[in-house]
Amino acid sequence: MTVLPVARRAARHRTLLLCAAALAALVALTALGLSSGQASMPAGTALRALVGLGDPGDVLVVQQFRAPRVFAALIAGAALAVSGSLLQRLFRNPLASPDVVGVTGGASFGAVLLLATGASQLLTPLAALGGGLLAALALGAFARRSRVAVGSLVLVGLAVQAGLAAAVNLMIVRFPAELASSALQWTTGSLYGSTWPEVWAGGGAVAAVLTAAFLHSRRLSVLDLGEESAGALGLTPARARLHLLLLTIALASLAAALSGPVGFVALAVPHLVRFLAGPPTPATLALTALTGGVLLLGADLIVLHLLPVHGLPVGAMTATLGAPWLLVLMIRRPAADRSTP
Amino acid sequence: MTTLATATRNELATHRLALRYGSRTVVDGLDLTLPGGAVTAIVGPNACGKSTLLRGLTRLLDPAAGTVTLDGSDVHRMPARTLARRMGLLPQQPVTPEAITVESLVRLGRYPHQRMLSPWSAADQAAVEEALTRTGTAELRDQPVDRLSGGQRQRAWIALTLAQDTELLLLDEPTTFLDLRHQLEVLDLVAELNTDAGRTVVMVLHDLGQAARYADHLVVLHEGRLAAAGPPAEVLDAALVEAVFEVPCQVVPDPETGTPLVVPRARARRPTTH
Repeated sequence: MTVLPVARRAARHRTLLLCAAALAALVALTALGLSSGQASMPAGTALRALVGLGDPGDVLVVQQFRAPRVFAALIAGAALAVSGSLLQRLFRNPLASPDVVGVTGGASFGAVLLLATGASQLLTPLAALGGGLLAALALGAFARRSRVAVGSLVLVGLAVQAGLAAAVNLMIVRFPAELASSALQWTTGSLYGSTWPEVWAGGGAVAAVLTAAFLHSRRLSVLDLGEESAGALGLTPARARLHLLLLTIALASLAAALSGPVGFVALAVPHLVRFLAGPPTPATLALTALTGGVLLLGADLIVLHLLPVHGLPVGAMTATLGAPWLLVLMIRRPAADRSTP
Repeated sequence: MTTLATATRNELATHRLALRYGSRTVVDGLDLTLPGGAVTAIVGPNACGKSTLLRGLTRLLDPAAGTVTLDGSDVHRMPARTLARRMGLLPQQPVTPEAITVESLVRLGRYPHQRMLSPWSAADQAAVEEALTRTGTAELRDQPVDRLSGGQRQRAWIALTLAQDTELLLLDEPTTFLDLRHQLEVLDLVAELNTDAGRTVVMVLHDLGQAARYADHLVVLHEGRLAAAGPPAEVLDAALVEAVFEVPCQVVPDPETGTPLVVPRARARRPTTH
């Protein structure tokens, strides 16, 4: 047992406490999500129904409708938050997030394209991944040609994102009527109609990529020191950055495959975690994942149960919260610039 | 035993080294030997290729031609981690991550000694403690680096390169942006690292007097080529300074140390009022 200095011990202590709080919130919201709805039931009944015990009606409602949606929210939220956190560190830009730089748009485009061809929906994560990678490639190619600074890359990404979102809309308008119900998911982001196969495939893939991201956390800290110091410490910065970028794209695309282009979560959670827990460590990465899951699930529950409007997609909710947040970040940007020489 | 001693003499050398940024050649055909166990100062006018040379020595810049060797083996063919265990670098303008504490920063110096899943070891902690103590930053360990004064911040960064535990240290203008007291503090620390800890130091400096005081070996670069190299007392004379820096001057013995001191010739005397 190594003795940690006071500040590190305090920071780690606080992060662990916050993780515990986030985990508790996650469990509470999950129970709430499983038990509430048109046929409300006590949380205990809902949890028993989840594992197939109790009234067959309850089991059906919980297992078939509520549980996939709850888990999809948790998985997509965690993936989005970690993806945003990695991207902000890689770009050294607090405004970077996959839904700003075009990756989410690319992923949605890929998924809609797959939908249009009528292929199996199990392939959605792959199609989203392909779309996300293509969008990132387009962004990278453009950046290389025009030699934009990494900081301004976000602006180019905004254009890519807008173009891809327009393309998604265009395709959906031309969809036959029976496919139009999925339009909501791919234009604003929604968890409506999540299914178990989606959750298993998405969850498994997200878990794998998150594990890889955790294994990269030391490398990420070294990358934070800039190209020269990272190189002198034995890291090949270009390669490490590429690996991390691929993980980021994978996380954002997998999230998009589950929930469509949900905004705000990837942008806001890293800031929230930094504000609460301080500079990034592997533990704050875990906190980021938990907070992302809690936030998206919470937003979805608000949309489902608290709002008078029926059928509002969760993406609309997060965007409503996200727009002012983005403005605040923009306004506070100069202050952030001063603190990083 | 002789072979072992020569194998780790920490001698960097360049052989017909050319370094380019795009099509611009910055260093051309440089043959240089930087003695192991010594403090070497690289000096020269702005844009003479000092920092570029340092980048070339550390793998951050691949040579356009020629090679760099460390005790005979090609630096640019060594695995990155192997090299990082032998040679550390303090860049001219290091990037300090936001809100990072001194100790967290210094811990990152252990990166080349760690494997992907290896836990933080006693050896790692010992190296960090020694680096903090040696640089006098131990009591600052919990402070955020971006709130420290320039001199303290520089010492924290030097501590990171010390925690890396390399026998060779490369410092790119470690005294820039520091006031005189802190400049001397950093240079004294460098001298101490060399004499007490036996580290080989190669640093880029601007001040010729400081270079002459603190270095055993002086490398003078001019337009990407070697203008002179050797012990400061043998190398630094008025003719060289005039040829390289285009400054007419006298070189006199430093009244404190006896090392060469460059005194620029006065231009037209400024009228004294009153």
